[in-house]
Amino acid sequence: MSGSGHSGYKGILLEQNKEPLLSKGIKQLEKLPVQEQHYLDSRVDPANMTPESLVIAARQAQIVDESDGTQLWKKLEQALEDSRRAIVVDALDDEPYISSQLCVALWMPGELEEAIDLLRRQLRIDRAVVEIYRNLTDIFTPIPKRIGEYRVRRVGGTYPAEKRIRRGESRLFKVGACALIHLYRAVFQKRVQTTSFVSVAGDCIANPANYEVPLNATVGQVLNAAGLLAQPKRIVVGGSMTGTGIGDPEAVRVLSATRGILAFAEQFEDFGFSCIGCGRCVDVCPQGLSPYFIYKFLRAHQQNIAAHAAQGCTCCGACSYICPAKLDLSHRIYLAASAGRRQKEKS
Amino acid sequence: MTVYTQNPPHIRSRESNASLMLSVIVAMLPLYAIATYFYGPRAVLLGLTGALSAGVTDALCMYLGGRVPNLRDFSSIVTGLMIPLLLPATVRYNIVIVAVLFGIAVAKQPFGGVGENIFNPAAAGMAFAIVCWPADVFSYPVPFERIPLFLTADTVFRVGTSPAKALALGGLPANTLIDTLMGNVPGPMGCTSVLVLFTCLLFLAVRRAVHVRATLAFLAGAAALAVLTPRAGGRAALYEMMCGMLPFAAVFMINDPVTSPKRSLPMLVYGATTGVISILFRHLGSYEESVIFAILVMNSAVWMLDLWGEHLARERRREKHDAGTRAGVPAASRKNVRHSQK
Repeated sequence: MSGSGHSGYKGILLEQNKEPLLSKGIKQLEKLPVQEQHYLDSRVDPANMTPESLVIAARQAQIVDESDGTQLWKKLEQALEDSRRAIVVDALDDEPYISSQLCVALWMPGELEEAIDLLRRQLRIDRAVVEIYRNLTDIFTPIPKRIGEYRVRRVGGTYPAEKRIRRGESRLFKVGACALIHLYRAVFQKRVQTTSFVSVAGDCIANPANYEVPLNATVGQVLNAAGLLAQPKRIVVGGSMTGTGIGDPEAVRVLSATRGILAFAEQFEDFGFSCIGCGRCVDVCPQGLSPYFIYKFLRAHQQNIAAHAAQGCTCCGACSYICPAKLDLSHRIYLAASAGRRQKEKS
Repeated sequence: MTVYTQNPPHIRSRESNASLMLSVIVAMLPLYAIATYFYGPRAVLLGLTGALSAGVTDALCMYLGGRVPNLRDFSSIVTGLMIPLLLPATVRYNIVIVAVLFGIAVAKQPFGGVGENIFNPAAAGMAFAIVCWPADVFSYPVPFERIPLFLTADTVFRVGTSPAKALALGGLPANTLIDTLMGNVPGPMGCTSVLVLFTCLLFLAVRRAVHVRATLAFLAGAAALAVLTPRAGGRAALYEMMCGMLPFAAVFMINDPVTSPKRSLPMLVYGATTGVISILFRHLGSYEESVIFAILVMNSAVWMLDLWGEHLARERRREKHDAGTRAGVPAASRKNVRHSQK
């Protein structure tokens, strides 16, 4: 768990809990049928694509890249302006329970390959690679060495792998696997993105699977359509490590970048533990920060020092996960860091 | 439907304070078993006295401080079980109680309770007992002496010379190395069986309840000085490493999470320095065993080591940031870098 001390990168190894979602493939919910919607634009012609028409297709189809939440056409425009070395398809899924990108890569390889082909031709990039997390030990589905003609690169290491590989690589064109499927549909079928690939999982869900869910469906509708075994105490939109806990499932809707909906039957109880200084949070912090000391400073009302010490926090949640006292470290550090940033911008 | 919103992450590791402390308690049970084997059921009663008085003292202190005692907090029980293991099996019950009282009510709770204490409570309590009753604390019965549960004025038991005492007097212990390894020598009731202690360390390491690197550094530091400055002949260093409270301190006290540094390098320095000082105290001090004092001395320096560790970590982060900026980070994240280096 503690990894090598010299790289400065540690993180945590997590149980992935990706089954049975991954082996079921991409499904649709009967109660929430997918309605196709097409756009009309004569400039997009599948047989005769240009870089400009690719951007137009992405714009007309309103595709959002689920890996970073930006609009795909803006990313494409940016990539056309400055030269990129390679296309990296993000199908990492290093957060437990979430497997929508991975599922898309495994079960829709043909469409994915077509979309990568299209991108390569239009962006004039030679190399393309699909990235999948390596430490997936509990899955039944074998992960292929290649998807179509493109190599699958297994990204090893511990949990915040996504954050680590993103560091300092400006000359790569990174795009999410689900966004590529939507791009394929936008170009070859002229379909607008009306759906999102969502992992619905957790111990309350009767039929956990990766569903193609229409946009603007409420979280409550999705949960009911997937079936509830018990009344959930916690509902999460997003990943199990970084997602948002929501209070009213009818008030939150599925968005283009929504990747997971999780429902759990148990809530975390507060046992009233206090920090015993075991130093595990310091051991696991991928950024080499010291959550222990930031927490101590916050308890001593030293907000400025805490904000200073919290710089570089990526909110991966590893410290909160590992804390034996069940302290809310990650959230408090995030608040301290953002308060520090605000103060700096003001001055 | 009632839904609770909680902050991410939405999954948590199964390990908790209670399970960590419980694994330390479980690791101490074999020591009580072997002490019972050597000295009879009095060992268990001493342990119960220690645990009970520690629990009561801790709860009372928290109550007096206006806080609610936490029933899932076993840290005081750990302290209470640790102190009898450092004492001879013939020690009076009131010494155990006073040592526990000092450890919890003076060295732990006034600093803010669990997690806030600067000094290891068990070490502080033991130090108090050593200073107040050195004769009682250092008079060890020979193994397999049946000691009655309650001592009276006319109770007689044979007192042996512990290896630590023999070394302090300038000679080699009369016991064989195998006996010392097995624990068949006079000594503190939980500290003599080095093999059992080693097994406890393995258990704690596998459970990840403690940092083994502090233990290793401690043993390395102590061994280095013991080899360099032998008190009697070549084999003395081996005895030096296996006698007194040193093996117990290596397994249970040096890697106490609360009072040891958090980063790797400071932890190694802390362990090695404590090891060196403990052997130094044996050479220079008047007590036959002073590892407890070495731990207390180094506990007071932990904050400096921690500061140093944070400085090192910050330097390393800055170097990495600089390397990242040179390699050409995208504009958005470059802004963040400049932001954090201001």
